[in-house]
Amino acid sequence: MSTRRTIRTFLSALFLFLAWAWTAPLTAQVAPAVGIRQNTPAVHAFTNVRIVISPGRVIAKGTLVVRDGMIEAVGANVKVPADASVRDMTGMTIYPGLIESYTDADLPKKSGGSGRESGGGGGRGSRGDEETGAAGGARYWNSNVRSSVSAAELFTPDEKENEKLRAMGFTVAQLVPPDGILRGATAVVMLGEGNPGELIVKKDVAQAGTLARQRGSGEPYPNSLMGSVALVRQALLDARWHADAQSASRQHPDEPRPEYVSDLAALGDLIDGKQPLLMDAADENDLLRVASIAKEFSLRLWVRGSGSEYARLQEVRGAKVPLILPVNFPETPAVRTSEDALGVSLAALRYWDEAPENPKRLNDAGVEFSLTTALLKDVGDFSKNVRTAVERGLPADAALAALTTRPARLLGIDKDVGTLERGKLANFVITDGDLFGEKTTVLETWVSGKKYPVKPAPDVDPRGTWAAVLTGAPVDSVMISLKGKADGPKVTVTVREKEAKTAEAEFLNLVLSLSFSGDSIVFDGVTRMSGSYTGGKFSGTGELSDGSAFGWNAVRTEPFAGEEDSSKAKAPRMASFTPVYPPGEFGRARLPDQPARLFVKNAMIWTSGPAGNIANGDMLIERGKIKQVGTGLTAPPDAVVIDAAGKHVTAGLIDCHSHSAATGGVNESGQAITAEVRIGDVIDPDDIGIYRELAGGLTVANVLHGSANPIGGQNQVIKLRWGAPAEEMKFKGAIPGIKFALGENPKQSNWGDDNTTRYPQTRGGVEQIIRDEFTAAQDYRKRWTDYRAGKFHIPPRRDLQMDALVEILEGKRLVHSHSYRQDEILMLMRVAEDFGFRVATFQHILEGYKVADIMAKHGAGGSTFSDWWAYKFEVYDAIPYNGTLMDKAGVVVSFNSDSDELARRLNLEAAKAVKYGGTPPEEALKFVTLNPAKQLRIDKRVGSLEAGKDADFVIWSGSPLSNMTICEQTWIDGRRYFDREEDRAMNAEVGRERSVLIQKALEAPKGKSGEKKGGRGRGYDDDESRYSCQDEFNAKEGR
Amino acid sequence: MKNFRIPVAALTTVLWLALAGALTAGGNEIPAKAQDHPIVLTGGTIHPVSGADIPGGMILFDRGKIVSMGTNLQLPPNTERIDISGKHVYPGMILATSTIGLMEIGAVRATRDVVETGSVNPNVRAEAAVNPESEIIPVTRANGITVAVTMPGGGVVSGTAAAVELDGWTWEEMTLKAPVGLIVNWPRMTINRAWWERRTEEEQKKAREKALEELKNTFRDARAYMTAKKAEAAGTGPHHDTDLRWEAMIPVLEGKIPVLLDAGELQQIEAAVAWADREKVRLVITGGYDAPRAAQLLKDHGVSVIAGPVNSTPRRRWEPYDDPYTLPKRLHDAGVSYCIMGDGGYENERNLPYQAAQAAAYGLPADEALKAITLYPAKILGLDDRIGSLEPGKDATLIVTTGNPLETLTNVEMEYIRGKSVQLTSRHTHLYDKYREKYRRQGIE
Repeated sequence: MSTRRTIRTFLSALFLFLAWAWTAPLTAQVAPAVGIRQNTPAVHAFTNVRIVISPGRVIAKGTLVVRDGMIEAVGANVKVPADASVRDMTGMTIYPGLIESYTDADLPKKSGGSGRESGGGGGRGSRGDEETGAAGGARYWNSNVRSSVSAAELFTPDEKENEKLRAMGFTVAQLVPPDGILRGATAVVMLGEGNPGELIVKKDVAQAGTLARQRGSGEPYPNSLMGSVALVRQALLDARWHADAQSASRQHPDEPRPEYVSDLAALGDLIDGKQPLLMDAADENDLLRVASIAKEFSLRLWVRGSGSEYARLQEVRGAKVPLILPVNFPETPAVRTSEDALGVSLAALRYWDEAPENPKRLNDAGVEFSLTTALLKDVGDFSKNVRTAVERGLPADAALAALTTRPARLLGIDKDVGTLERGKLANFVITDGDLFGEKTTVLETWVSGKKYPVKPAPDVDPRGTWAAVLTGAPVDSVMISLKGKADGPKVTVTVREKEAKTAEAEFLNLVLSLSFSGDSIVFDGVTRMSGSYTGGKFSGTGELSDGSAFGWNAVRTEPFAGEEDSSKAKAPRMASFTPVYPPGEFGRARLPDQPARLFVKNAMIWTSGPAGNIANGDMLIERGKIKQVGTGLTAPPDAVVIDAAGKHVTAGLIDCHSHSAATGGVNESGQAITAEVRIGDVIDPDDIGIYRELAGGLTVANVLHGSANPIGGQNQVIKLRWGAPAEEMKFKGAIPGIKFALGENPKQSNWGDDNTTRYPQTRGGVEQIIRDEFTAAQDYRKRWTDYRAGKFHIPPRRDLQMDALVEILEGKRLVHSHSYRQDEILMLMRVAEDFGFRVATFQHILEGYKVADIMAKHGAGGSTFSDWWAYKFEVYDAIPYNGTLMDKAGVVVSFNSDSDELARRLNLEAAKAVKYGGTPPEEALKFVTLNPAKQLRIDKRVGSLEAGKDADFVIWSGSPLSNMTICEQTWIDGRRYFDREEDRAMNAEVGRERSVLIQKALEAPKGKSGEKKGGRGRGYDDDESRYSCQDEFNAKEGR
Repeated sequence: MKNFRIPVAALTTVLWLALAGALTAGGNEIPAKAQDHPIVLTGGTIHPVSGADIPGGMILFDRGKIVSMGTNLQLPPNTERIDISGKHVYPGMILATSTIGLMEIGAVRATRDVVETGSVNPNVRAEAAVNPESEIIPVTRANGITVAVTMPGGGVVSGTAAAVELDGWTWEEMTLKAPVGLIVNWPRMTINRAWWERRTEEEQKKAREKALEELKNTFRDARAYMTAKKAEAAGTGPHHDTDLRWEAMIPVLEGKIPVLLDAGELQQIEAAVAWADREKVRLVITGGYDAPRAAQLLKDHGVSVIAGPVNSTPRRRWEPYDDPYTLPKRLHDAGVSYCIMGDGGYENERNLPYQAAQAAAYGLPADEALKAITLYPAKILGLDDRIGSLEPGKDATLIVTTGNPLETLTNVEMEYIRGKSVQLTSRHTHLYDKYREKYRRQGIE
């Protein structure tokens, strides 16, 4: 069945359900009556009211009739039913009730801790789980998958929360379970009083999820972002398997029964495309991340965004995902002192400056979204922030649509809510003005025909100008003018054209009480008056300062003219700068150009290829590929020419061991074997490390999982295409690989006394667990072969760990193993040989020099540090001659960085191979060009300057092996991604933009929540997230 | 995955045996003999650093001291002539901050003697814990570093630093000067928002206040102690029992040695200068990332900066990628007294010249870069009467190289510390030789 047909079938079923659900008025039908029955008629007619039927459809003066919770009639010329209670609503506006698309109000609060809190509720079976409906039963092995949780089952109306939401006009909300990674099903409910059964509109609307790390959940796995992705991916596969296996088992009852898991059963509709997946996205990169998972599984995806989607507008639009957008605009960065301002990045300043335009920019780009109060520190800021969004260019109708018709359609409840039309639920909001106006008050919110006063309008509006006739007072008449709020009017009293100095008034229970005083008017001291409103007039008595009484009555001479809305008067300050990629520092409006033809001449060219070094050499490049390298070449007439006389040119440098550009943790240390996690899922294109490494001539990095586990996660080779989105950084066609780790790190030797029980704790254990995994992988492969051959009928479960290991066995996945000591190096080679594969590279490999001959024979590369040693026991025998010795023994050797810092000067690391052991300079340079390319099996594309290869090259001010040399330009695919001159200009621009925005921040009114120090960036971590390259436990784990 | 258990005691024993074996196996280098006859190096280029280069020059030294330099020297009768034609002579390089001798293997607790418990330890002195047998020493020395300042760390006041020569039988013999400064760690003034910081903003502020309070109290109490002891000595006051902590701080309070204060952020530097002025102590800042932003303040108060590490990443996203590289240049341009530090650690300190080289590549004049790891640290740490440049009367602590020592491709071929010819072999060359032999036997050269 096609997805479209599936959806249609699903929708018609849904409508049937809704039709049943909503014929019910909001009174109990099942429970017996308690006491005397209450049968007050529920027929209301609102007349002379401005009615916004839906965004853009407005009746200036009309009538709305409500009967038994439903809208009976609406229009300009509607006849008021004889049995209706009639209210004249002159001056008021009725809007459709707003829809909150994402909230955990009315659900039990999050069970575990979150964020920085540690500890908190334990794993499965803790009190928290009982409250959130995830205890007991046939549950998934990992309590972060709790898909069988249903918000409808947990729904407990919380009148305090509901009242807050209603006060802003919300009448309906989607409840999203707040716990875990795959969190369970959402439900749509009405925000009224009553028992849950009366309020649930629709259950199991979507399956909710997030990729955020669940700190303090008590569940050790996953503890990284990539682990979250892996868990989601595996659970979805498991759900599919579960459905297939259960069904196969019914047909083959003689075969061993597959396990029943309620959380997987609950994902059945999702994987069939019948139910959407609602994922949180921590930032725009995360949005693209979840979009790609949804695509992988052909899921219908909704995303609760972060507010920074504008930062990758084009890609976000391309993802075609309905968004639920928060309006959590950042607080003004702390820039009061120059010292404070140092800590605020341009990215943070621009985020503050631009985020309020997120809704506008998405709307302009045609991205469909609803708005939500989610992520606001104070839900009460919602209306204010939507107003800001409108001031910053979001059309008011679009804002209204994002709170009514859009979410109604998204949630599949548009037949019943979202507009004010006959037959829909009587969910609406009464205001005294434009819903998003600064001075507007929400007066009443009606949910299913029931009135919830917010700020009730008085029965009579006394505002206007009144002429009072006084008897027995010093003058015959005074003018009374009432403005401001109807129930607490501001008053001015005028006596013989002179205004009383002070005047106060109150209008309560139809009685106006006022007092005034002033020297220049005829009255002495303070005069007090009160009068009742009867028949459109006031009449009453007054008291002079001497205690004597007077009588008065007044008629209205002028109606209330309304207040000026000051928000419209002042022009909003729009964002100061146009977008760059990545947002903030050193971003560019677009990728660097790729000249059709590029000619570099007169350079000392270190080809790292068979041609060796070419003095006075030329290089011709066409559309990103090297065409020719040699001497005396002629530049085509249309070529862009770079005269590199006196300069040296090398291939772009390649770092075979990096953790740059990975976000959300580089170790998934929640398990000892994590072959299922993928660095490719967590590439962070905004990592400033990328730009800084480009500035050191680096063009390619092998981004690896950390070394916490004997079998770690899958690596991702990237090109440092600064500015491109994550997906486009990936080195297409690079053979996939995986990180292994041997020795002290996987056996947790240096992680303190709390880490002494996980298997393995010895090198012997490391060997055995790796052997065990490969043995299991062989068994797994056999199980699949047998199943495919029809030997049995219940499909085996797909296991992403095993899949990766099978790929290794089949030579389709490269093993990059962290290792130090010769015994473990030899061990892994022998294990590999036993299982019929070769280790692609040993990483670090500081004792490689002791077994270089065996490595050469096995065919393993050595990717080592030039001279690191002595930071832990297993590197006490490390020597800087390692590279040279391995090279001489025939091992392909590279020098890597494992460090955002060292990656900026790998050319100088190469020089150490000359210094220690005398590797010839040209060969030494290959340690950071051709050799890592060979190790990564990408040497057909990069690593040397030869015809046909990618135009990845660096222009140096002198010999790349001299410490006095600097990198001047770095090119990738024939595009100049770094240029020192351009960098100087960009620095100036960064300075200018920061100054402008700091001034703007200094001038900005202070928010009530005060300033926030440091100016936190977007996403999971802040600007210092680059340190997350290090391990959770030990800052030097990577080594 | 239930693990099987081995008694912890057994494991510990195994670890100890392994370590003991490793640590005692090394130390093959034999400390050099005291200079017992005059030596002259001839034919090379002499780079005194404090003066003009002398191409084709001679440098004569005797009994550990430089006697004379020039192109045509009068030589005492028993002078040993060493021809170094084509080579270069430089003063030995000085590591201004390190933990050499106090740390052998970072991850092994038993080999760490850097951080004492408690936060106020002015009486801990580095030199008394320097292990002359450390394998780190010959490795560092082999690249031309002759003197290292080594220092305890941690807490608010860590102890005193010592300048040690990287050769000798005992720490006493190696100590060139001690103490050279009192180590103070200024608390972080800004809120750390990195994910790994588990403390809340409030907790961080409290920790900062506590550290500042401790620092203030330490100096107040030490001063009270000094006053009382002076009164006692002058016979104007009664006896006061000795307090080792405050005793160790008297040279600081008397201005004989500086406070070596670790501070990088502008807020730290500004506050520290005001603090030092109030306490009337001599201040030297180590790290000094933001020091150029406080250049005028530092100059006005005569505060020097031991700057670096040059090879590091910018602190802030918005800063130029080469900000750490240009730190020395910016201090130089602003006229602030400075020198260049290494990584401040132990195992990679042989790369000190490349920190200076990176500064030179990014704009610091090359001769300045060289001074920044020789003469300037000597001056800032009060060692310039002995080392830091090649001048008659100074120690014959020098290196002979194949070229500019700032270049990786340059090698150190000879090294003298106080006229003693020190070995340039190390654990690294021994293992190299051993495994070269393995491959030589297989016919691989």
